[in-house]
Amino acid sequence: MRAVDGRVWLILPAVSLLAVAFLVPVGWLLSRAFTFPEPGLQNFALLWERPVYMRVMMNTLVISAIVTPVTVLLAFPVAHLMAHGSARLRRWLIFLVLVPFWTSLLVRAFATAILLQRHGVINSFLIGFGLIEEPLPLLYNMTGLLAGCVQVLLPFVIFPLYSSMARIDPGYMRAAATLGAPPVRAFLRVYLPLTLPGLVTGATLVFISTLGYYIIPALLGGARQQMIAQLIQDQIAAFGNWGVAGALSLVLLAITGAMVALLHVTVGLKEIAR
Amino acid sequence: MSMTTRRTVLAGATAAAALPLGARAQGAMDLKGTTVVFASWGGAYQDAEKVSYCEPFAKATGATVVQDGPMNVAKFRAMASSGTPDWDVVDITGGFLEVAAKDGLLEKIDPKLVTLSRIEPRFVHEYGVGCIVWSYNLGYSTTAFANGAPTTWADLFDLKKFPGKRTVLDQPVASLEVALLADGVAPDKLYPLDVDRAFKKLDQIKGQTVFWTTNSQSQQLFVDREVVAGIILNGRVYDAAQKGAKIALSWEQNIQAVDYLVVPKGSKNRAAAMRLIDTMTVAENQAKVANLIAYSPTNIEAYKTIEPKLEPWLCTTPENTRKGFIMSQLYWRDHLKDLTERWTAWKLA
Amino acid sequence: MSADGMTPWRLLRGTLVIMVAVFLLAPLAVVVIISFSSAPFLQFPPPGFSLRWYGVLFSTPAWTNALWVSVQLMVPSSIVATILGTAASYGLVRGRVPGARLITACLMLPIIVPGMITAAALFGIYRGLGLNGTLTGLIIGHTVLHIPYVVAVVSSALRVQDVQLEQAAATLGAPPWATFRHVTLPLIMPAVMSSLLIAMILSFDELIVSLFVSSARVRPVAVQMWSNLLGDFDPTIAAIASVCFLFALLVMAADLALRPGRTQGIG
Repeated sequence: MRAVDGRVWLILPAVSLLAVAFLVPVGWLLSRAFTFPEPGLQNFALLWERPVYMRVMMNTLVISAIVTPVTVLLAFPVAHLMAHGSARLRRWLIFLVLVPFWTSLLVRAFATAILLQRHGVINSFLIGFGLIEEPLPLLYNMTGLLAGCVQVLLPFVIFPLYSSMARIDPGYMRAAATLGAPPVRAFLRVYLPLTLPGLVTGATLVFISTLGYYIIPALLGGARQQMIAQLIQDQIAAFGNWGVAGALSLVLLAITGAMVALLHVTVGLKEIAR
Repeated sequence: MSMTTRRTVLAGATAAAALPLGARAQGAMDLKGTTVVFASWGGAYQDAEKVSYCEPFAKATGATVVQDGPMNVAKFRAMASSGTPDWDVVDITGGFLEVAAKDGLLEKIDPKLVTLSRIEPRFVHEYGVGCIVWSYNLGYSTTAFANGAPTTWADLFDLKKFPGKRTVLDQPVASLEVALLADGVAPDKLYPLDVDRAFKKLDQIKGQTVFWTTNSQSQQLFVDREVVAGIILNGRVYDAAQKGAKIALSWEQNIQAVDYLVVPKGSKNRAAAMRLIDTMTVAENQAKVANLIAYSPTNIEAYKTIEPKLEPWLCTTPENTRKGFIMSQLYWRDHLKDLTERWTAWKLA
Repeated sequence: MSADGMTPWRLLRGTLVIMVAVFLLAPLAVVVIISFSSAPFLQFPPPGFSLRWYGVLFSTPAWTNALWVSVQLMVPSSIVATILGTAASYGLVRGRVPGARLITACLMLPIIVPGMITAAALFGIYRGLGLNGTLTGLIIGHTVLHIPYVVAVVSSALRVQDVQLEQAAATLGAPPWATFRHVTLPLIMPAVMSSLLIAMILSFDELIVSLFVSSARVRPVAVQMWSNLLGDFDPTIAAIASVCFLFALLVMAADLALRPGRTQGIG
């Protein structure tokens, strides 16, 4: 076992940049939660007294909690095929995943709205083929929001997951088969755990990213799909209330930290990490 | 406080408007070497302002005007509270004007440099000069209502007679007023708003409502036939109709709002900024803006040079002024915060 | 996974992948089709065919300048973010750092903290440093914002990566840098490349920090689009989106064409 080695210094550039260009300015701004307009905890008291803030916070968490598993589930087969298909197929899949990414999020959100409309392509298709009578409400509700978020966040799960899957030694699965494990069992007990680092990374990225969204809910979601980032924005932009904005951000940070810790502890990296 | 009083055009205004642009300047071309930064909302609107206000100003004074933006309230706040703003003249909404003035973010308008008499008194503020007037109107789809269109706000809430989805701006501002007007409250009895009554009325259409946040969204919803009626800005309806969309509006009970030109506190080019604002007050320049993008002038003399085809679309014609009223900026200055919270909670319920 | 057998799974997998493919590509197709629309709205299906929006795009300096600014912004910021992030990941996962978990969490902060806060904070600090409205200011901001993504992806790859390979190289006498260059780096290259591309794309799409830090002269595409979105809204936006899509297509196609015989990954 090696002692702390020179490789530690590799983290210095990133951490220094982060400290100077992020931690200091943002820390100062967040500290306004305790100092604006006067020193004290009144901003947090406000959040406690006015239920609307915590309700929107809960709403945001629930939305993230829905988006994350859906994205992971859809990402899994794609990453799997990428990792275990032919090199050519892998290229095409990488292409498939990255190319939409290059198209602006705003424009894609509008395009998704166009597809999901009452008189849009999907509904026209379903009605035209007689599968439904009335158009389905696919937009300006949770469905629309889900479609938008998943579309944008799929690559964030696919790549870490692919990365993990590509490194899995096929020897493990062969060994499992040799030892008599049925395919499903081998998959669940051997393969899946080996993909966990990538899976947890992807899931965490999706969860955290969704928490901060406001453009997609504004364009594709409905009245019930309100998210906290919009409120934080309102506080700064409309009211100049850095104190409440800072307080909301700190609460968001705390909850996010707790969720991520929970995710890592339950699904955990403990068996993979040293 | 009441914003429904109307003032007739002052005889003096006519005389003042006849003054040439450079009359109040100390002499033409005396600002050579000065750069004034003009910030607005971008797109065709800012292009129109550039052509109508900034270019004549630059030509007459020799100053250089740089366009910046898009206007962003948070950015404006950060800039103005720092004491060294990057922007010298900014186009802001009336709602923000009151808040910004209260928070000490603006320079007082200098009446020695800006010809305030050209502008309708109701559009003149201690800290800003109104440049355009726009309104929240009842917009509706002409295909959905080929026989018998909705005309009043009450019609917006009548789901039986005018069935279909609605669109409402995702903010309490104007939406609450609309609800109260629909419930029978007269414009001069609106403020202070009976908020409970407004939300109760809004509950009637909440299930059928799609909320819009950007202007483009409001247009898109009609074009896509997602909604058949709603609260929409007059300029957006004009724009959409020009492009062939099947949409029209009603001027009944139109709720007017004003955009102002202001100078952020601490601007290094205060005097030059004021003179740029003065250029904006000239009737011909205001007419240019109206002709380009159908926003209403604050200098009534401008109507002399505005193309007649635009008049049905403008808020400050005598007819449309009579049918509508200006929203209370002061009320919203004091209640925006609380009512925004309540709006958020109401949407979630 | 073996090359044969498990047909029901393969069928399911194939179906799901096709569904995801359609899901990802459909909006793209809509965007491209609309960019050729003759109508001044985002209307689908478009009533007619026209190239006018492309005409507007290429004749408007605002857009061509914006594209150039975006390129100048995303390339350096993503490269620096990838280098710093990869180095940090390596140090955190392989080096025995006390408090590695805490440091990693700190490195993730730019994703968690709401964009508005980061943007306002940077704007405030930059004022004193004269960095607002400069490319440098934007590059620094974007680099900091995207390091977490690199760290996440590369760390994940490093953790699965068998450390014994590196230890073996060290036992055989290879100095640390050589081990990294010849053993570790090639093995984590897919992750590093992915994170580089992700950082580039995120930078291209980034709106909030850019909105605050940019000025009329130094303005990336995302801010230009936002400014249009607030006001007039027509298929010019679809045209620029399609141009970017085309660009990405060409880059990917070039990659496909230039390396046909590359060996398959493990398995």
